[in-house]
Amino acid sequence: MLQIEHLTKVYPNGTVALKDVTFTVQDGEFLVIIGLSGSGKSTLLRCINRLIEPTEGRVLWDGANITRASPAELRQLRRHVGMVFQQFNVVKRSSVMTNVLSGRLGYVNSFSSVLGLWSKSDRERALKALERVGIADKADNRADALSGGQQQRVGIARTLMQEPKLILADEPVASLDPVLSHSILRYLEQLNKEGITVLCSLHFLDLVHRYATRVIALKEGVKVFEGLPKEIDRAKFKEIYGEEAQEVRATTVEEG
Amino acid sequence: MDARRFNLRRWFVTGFLLLLVAAAYGIGYRETEINPVKLITSLGKSQAILNDLLHPDLFTHQTHDTTLDIVFPVPCGSAQPTQLPDNQAHIFANVACANPGDTVSVSGTGMQPDTDVKIQWLLPNGNALFSKLARTDAHGNFTAQVQVRPINTTTGGIPSHLQALTAVPFGGLLPSQALKDVINNIIVTVFIALLATTAGTIIAAPISFLAARNIMGHSRLGTSIYVIVRSILNITRSYDSLVLATVFALWVGFGAFAGVLALTVITMASLGKLFSEAVESIDPGPLEAVSATGARPIQVVVFSVVPQIIPDFISYIIYHWDINVRISTILGFVGGGGIGFYLSQRINVLEYQKAGTAIWAIVLVVWAMDFFSAEVRKRYT
Ligand SMILES: Nc1ncnc2c1ncn2[C@@H]1O[C@H](COP(=O)(O)OP(=O)(O)O)[C@@H](O)[C@H]1O
Ligand SMILES: [Mg+2]
Repeated sequence: MLQIEHLTKVYPNGTVALKDVTFTVQDGEFLVIIGLSGSGKSTLLRCINRLIEPTEGRVLWDGANITRASPAELRQLRRHVGMVFQQFNVVKRSSVMTNVLSGRLGYVNSFSSVLGLWSKSDRERALKALERVGIADKADNRADALSGGQQQRVGIARTLMQEPKLILADEPVASLDPVLSHSILRYLEQLNKEGITVLCSLHFLDLVHRYATRVIALKEGVKVFEGLPKEIDRAKFKEIYGEEAQEVRATTVEEG
Repeated sequence: MDARRFNLRRWFVTGFLLLLVAAAYGIGYRETEINPVKLITSLGKSQAILNDLLHPDLFTHQTHDTTLDIVFPVPCGSAQPTQLPDNQAHIFANVACANPGDTVSVSGTGMQPDTDVKIQWLLPNGNALFSKLARTDAHGNFTAQVQVRPINTTTGGIPSHLQALTAVPFGGLLPSQALKDVINNIIVTVFIALLATTAGTIIAAPISFLAARNIMGHSRLGTSIYVIVRSILNITRSYDSLVLATVFALWVGFGAFAGVLALTVITMASLGKLFSEAVESIDPGPLEAVSATGARPIQVVVFSVVPQIIPDFISYIIYHWDINVRISTILGFVGGGGIGFYLSQRINVLEYQKAGTAIWAIVLVVWAMDFFSAEVRKRYT
């Protein structure tokens, strides 16, 4: 169980990205976070694994206080929290294999990993992860030789190496076309069915309806909605996205 | 009205500034003793030197050397002159002895035809004093007028000798002593550049991470280290390599080691700055992604930062290697060893042909290293 309590983030330049956000995620949920660009979705996800330090509030995971964890404790916690990014964030000049293996870094000896020495079992695990996302044949390619959709699959394979209990996905399909979006989200859905909790920010409403078990909406850093996907009707949608949302929605629906 | 007054003032200020600039150039012109006419008028005087520089001392022939020698007392009566043999090659003077300042006629016979003869005095202390060049005719004879120098005096009963030296070339060309020396020194120079570039890189690479804001800027301690390292790099970079080489030459003595030290410090500071800028310009995304897996900082750096900076690092290293080759050629002028030291020495003793050899070698090596680094750059970046 993941508990976000009174989370507030004020950036050094004064921007209030999150304002007193509280919610709970049960194990096994596929929780989708929606909201306009700039509403604080990325900030929220990064405060959970402390890529960004929250200003106030705390994050509890199965009772452990992530917000107060020491650097060593934080690394232990992060090992089980996979993250998937809008820009994929693969290391472009490294091989696909190396990118996937890097998901295992929290588990291995830092000296041998820095020298590039990986155990046979880790290599096998990496190949299995690549097989799962259907690009095992690309293992020896450089990551930047892959298409966007393939790079995102590398990103997912990398999180699989972590044996995650929780996956944070920050607009994982916003840089992909609609067909690819579904193929990527289906992997997340599959993992979710296997018991991994997923927190995912999404832009397109049809994708929200299709994949989310529950939805949270942010507006200017404030949680303005928490409920089931089907509860987001036209009126609710306008409330979250503002008056000009009609166009946004029209295109998203068409594209989806 | 207001606008016009403003305009007037602007004109005035502009005019004043122009005047200042003109004055600066005027004073500069005088202080630097600019005299373009000299470029032409001095040409004659320096032509011999320029000619020497353009005809580097590269090869010598192996030679048969012969020395013909007679005792020639100065002044007369200070010692016994030589009895002349008359069958084999020998030299003789028209008088058996002379006083300082006299001119005597020296002849040789039975020698190699059409050969240069170097006439010299062998002084009582064993040193040779060059007097004159002559040339034998088709029959192997020569005659030359030689002035008796006042110093050619008998001391302690030991008289001066007159000598005629010939060197008849035979066989193929051999590298001259100057060429050998230049090659040795240019190798030293290339090694100065190589060692300094290597050592500078090895020191700069880890330091550059400490001087990168995106790596260090996350904690207060990190930020302080960043500021300190940055400042050290900036201060060190402000010293010129020739100044540093002078300092190190005074510290550890003249020679290649001083050059290596100076160049290492400069390379370290300059690459440290360039490297840290490369580190700062990386895509933060992969860094975020690898941090999020629970990797340790060193793993994060090796897996997400290093692959991104390698092309930049390689091209900066090559860039600095080029600079270091150039600098190391002249470091010798201030005590840094290598070809620069050889060159400055040859110029000091007016051996311009040997200096020419060194200059051509520098041109060649700099060109070759440029070519080499261009090839490396093509392949690896
Ligand atoms: N590093 C930062 N420094 C200052 N302001 C930031 C920073 N990152 C994000 N912000 C601001 O915080 C707000 C929330 O941003 P973000 O979490 O990226 O929203 P979203 O992911 O929903 O688009 C925005 O107003 C953004 O401009
Ligand atoms: Mg975002």
